[in-house]
Amino acid sequence: MNNCVMDTEEMKILEMLKKVIDPELMVNIIDLGLVYGATFDAAGRQIDVALTLTSPGCPMGGIIIEDAQQTLESNYPGFNVNINLVWEPAWSIERLSAKGKAELGFS
Amino acid sequence: MNQIASQNAPSPKVVVPHFIFGALTWLMVTILIIFHPEAFTQHYFNAELLAITHLLVLGWITMIIFGALYQLLPVIMEVKLYSETLAKISFLLMAIGTILLSLAFWHFSFGPLMFIAGISIVISVSLFVANALLTAHSSNKNVIERTFIVSSVIWLLFTVLAGLTLAINLSHPFLKVSHVELLKLHAHAGLVGWFVQLIIGVSSKLLPMFMVSHHVNTKKLNFSFYTINIGLPIGIIALYLQYKIGVVFSAIMVVAGIVGYLSFLLASYKKRVKKQLDIGMKQSALSFVFLVIPLFLIFTLLLNIDFLNRLTLPLSVAYGSAIVIGFITSLVMGQTYKTLPFIVWLKVYQGKVGKVILPLPKDLYSEKLAIAQVWLFAIGFGFLLIGISTTNTTLVMVSGILLLLSVAFYNLNILKIVLHKPTNE
Repeated sequence: MNNCVMDTEEMKILEMLKKVIDPELMVNIIDLGLVYGATFDAAGRQIDVALTLTSPGCPMGGIIIEDAQQTLESNYPGFNVNINLVWEPAWSIERLSAKGKAELGFS
Repeated sequence: MNQIASQNAPSPKVVVPHFIFGALTWLMVTILIIFHPEAFTQHYFNAELLAITHLLVLGWITMIIFGALYQLLPVIMEVKLYSETLAKISFLLMAIGTILLSLAFWHFSFGPLMFIAGISIVISVSLFVANALLTAHSSNKNVIERTFIVSSVIWLLFTVLAGLTLAINLSHPFLKVSHVELLKLHAHAGLVGWFVQLIIGVSSKLLPMFMVSHHVNTKKLNFSFYTINIGLPIGIIALYLQYKIGVVFSAIMVVAGIVGYLSFLLASYKKRVKKQLDIGMKQSALSFVFLVIPLFLIFTLLLNIDFLNRLTLPLSVAYGSAIVIGFITSLVMGQTYKTLPFIVWLKVYQGKVGKVILPLPKDLYSEKLAIAQVWLFAIGFGFLLIGISTTNTTLVMVSGILLLLSVAFYNLNILKIVLHKPTNE
């Protein structure tokens, strides 16, 4: 598989993850900038996602991870989906997309 | 990989009964305000007000704080709660102790009933304190929030032990100081040492988290911790020794500490990512506005201003009511919407993603009821303060009706949350 196809697949994954909403902020995890990256390995039937949370104490972390995992598993049956929780670099406001900022009420 | 906070959450069976008992007690108190408004227009050392106050501070506020802390300690300390069994026993003893204590006060009976109630509450608090300290001990998060919480639970233990000593002193007098002065000492240990410090410890972690405020300097909280924990013991000793200048100095120190905390909250608010506050955060914000009232009243009372002399007693009751009902109750009601829906939501939906329709935690309660609750509360509290200050029982009764409606809406929402069931896809 060439890089172009992989990029397309990874972009699809990021698009799918827009369905996963942070229940406290009510904004999807892509526009919040919580997803640091995704890799798609068609041959190894493996998907890896690097995800962070707005705060290490975030009580919603379990559900967000479960939701992301479930979303990808249902779209890629037979694939092994790994959601890796990462804390470096720490999430900051700069990671918000323009849409995310608008939904949170930034002028 | 770090453990995520939701993996440390205790069973809702530990947490939810505290919320239900607390909410029903607050409802009961509003009924008592309607039928016994005179409790608020006499000297504060009267049977009805003592009963109502203990129902409020133990049955309502402390009960909800216990339940919320069992959920929040794992979030703040990033470890599991030390023991769920200790928490359940503590709940039962606190519930029984509070009911018996209020009955004893209501009948102004300082015999065995009050003693049994006091012992029950002391054991309940001891179990809670042991649970909280052992949970904190297993955490390596040495942050200021943790220090405040540890300090507050020690002050709670001091408060209930002082309360038990007062109860014994009422039936078998052995202390030389006037009972009214001892009551001030007991009340301030509880209000400042337990409630205010606990609120600072928990809210300085949670409110920035709810508002998504990053990089807020916590140095002001260190300042608050030292001024409160130096000022409060000075005030306790000064009250016991009847040393007025010591009391004034203590008040200045404690108020400075609270102002430092409010300044931290303001900085968090300005740096918030989540610009729009939900209804729970709006009522919480209102509570901080109400907090300004007792901060002014304490100096008004301590300065003995001539033309206010005849108002000293009503203003003393207004001062206590502004802290317990205006500030703490309002904050607890607001923060219920930031904790209980999430507790129930996590319990109902964890492991069921994709199998059921996933609502948002805020969909578990009626926002319209919550908005009505906040308005009724704010107006009701305003009437209460005016009624107390002018010793007008009709106004106090009207405030009771408004507060009853507010707490009825609050209870309806609590029921709606705890009875929530998932919908299949």
